[in-house]
Amino acid sequence: MATFTLPKNSKIGDGKTYAAPSGATNVRSFSIYRWDPDSEATPRRDTYKIDLDNCGPMVLDALIKIKNEIDGSLTFRRSCREGICGSCAMNIDGTNTLACLKPIEDVTGDVKINPLPHLPVVKDLVPDLSQLYAQYRSVEPWLKSDTPPPPDEERRQSKEERAKLDGMWECILCFCCSTACPSYWWNGDRFLGPAVLLAAYRWIADSRDERTGERLDALEDPFRLYRCHTIMNCTNTCPKGLNPAKAIGSIKQMMVERQG
Amino acid sequence: MNTETDSALRLQSPLGRVRGMGSARAGTHHWWMQRVTSIGLLPLTLWFALSAVSLAGASYAEALAWIGSPFNAVLLIATLLLSFHHTNAGLQVVIEDYVHVPGARIAALLAVKAVCGLLAIASVLAVLRIAV
Ligand code: SF4
Ligand code: SF4
Ligand code: FES
Repeated sequence: MATFTLPKNSKIGDGKTYAAPSGATNVRSFSIYRWDPDSEATPRRDTYKIDLDNCGPMVLDALIKIKNEIDGSLTFRRSCREGICGSCAMNIDGTNTLACLKPIEDVTGDVKINPLPHLPVVKDLVPDLSQLYAQYRSVEPWLKSDTPPPPDEERRQSKEERAKLDGMWECILCFCCSTACPSYWWNGDRFLGPAVLLAAYRWIADSRDERTGERLDALEDPFRLYRCHTIMNCTNTCPKGLNPAKAIGSIKQMMVERQG
Repeated sequence: MNTETDSALRLQSPLGRVRGMGSARAGTHHWWMQRVTSIGLLPLTLWFALSAVSLAGASYAEALAWIGSPFNAVLLIATLLLSFHHTNAGLQVVIEDYVHVPGARIAALLAVKAVCGLLAIASVLAVLRIAV
């Protein structure tokens, strides 16, 4: 059955509280999920009180400040700090988003930070993405065409054909959407999830690709595709403003169209 | 996640697991019929609700006569068939979502099909006995 409560060894306890520096007037608490695979301890929640007058505006700035100045053991992924690499995806204030794009100001009260939901945790805010990467690999996200490209020329697309890829090429594979989807929580081992289905549709919709039918065949499955029940969590949470639910709807529509 | 394999040591690659047994090449008919039956049930349910209200206070004989008229009998049977088809399809989705032990899933799916099928036949027979 689907699991609705945390297993015993995942129950979260109270951790340490790190006080704000003396004299700070603009203090905000960051309550952060911590788990260290090298210790026997169950996960805990540490609280760091930060002086916002001495900190950058985004949640990622606060995390970096904590790591540099308070607690070097805090572990998270980040790279670009401008919403383009997808590394810093995490659950902030109950919503999956990118820490580097999330202004601290937008959160009222304590800033609660957790790893992306329903994935195995590697350490602290770092989830194990190997299943999601394998699913991405499984939809063969590259151009497949039997017609050779014209000699000394690129494969051409009209403006209209190219426009069909808008809203899809922008995906940075942060997986905020897939890990916000209840269907992916319950059946992620078989359901491909919104991020990967969006990626699959990006190639289905590409006028230069010649394997549309094969791609649809591979998706036509009660679990791979049809676990999506249009709950729309994916679209609501995407930090890039993309609409995976719409792409999934387009795939389903093509499935019906090709039946006759 | 699959309860059967959760505790077992898994050295199969993530890609191998994700590809699994491949695509079933199915699901479209089920999904499409769910939409079609719900669209069909919109006017039928409205018609049935209005008719039921207009029959309030009617005598037994009047109710029998209403069901017995060919027009009403045909629409009633359509409503019943679509309702049970839709119920079965909806419950199937719930079971596939939440029941992960393969044996239990197949048993539950077959049980729902059997109950919905028998109820559909019984209710259609009831209308026919009155109408024919
Ligand atoms: S629309 Fe589909 S993919 Fe998106 S959250 Fe809902 S069920 Fe998941
Ligand atoms: S669709 Fe949006 S939320 Fe999902 S992986 Fe792409 S960028 Fe992230
Ligand atoms: S650090 Fe690259 S997306 Fe946030």
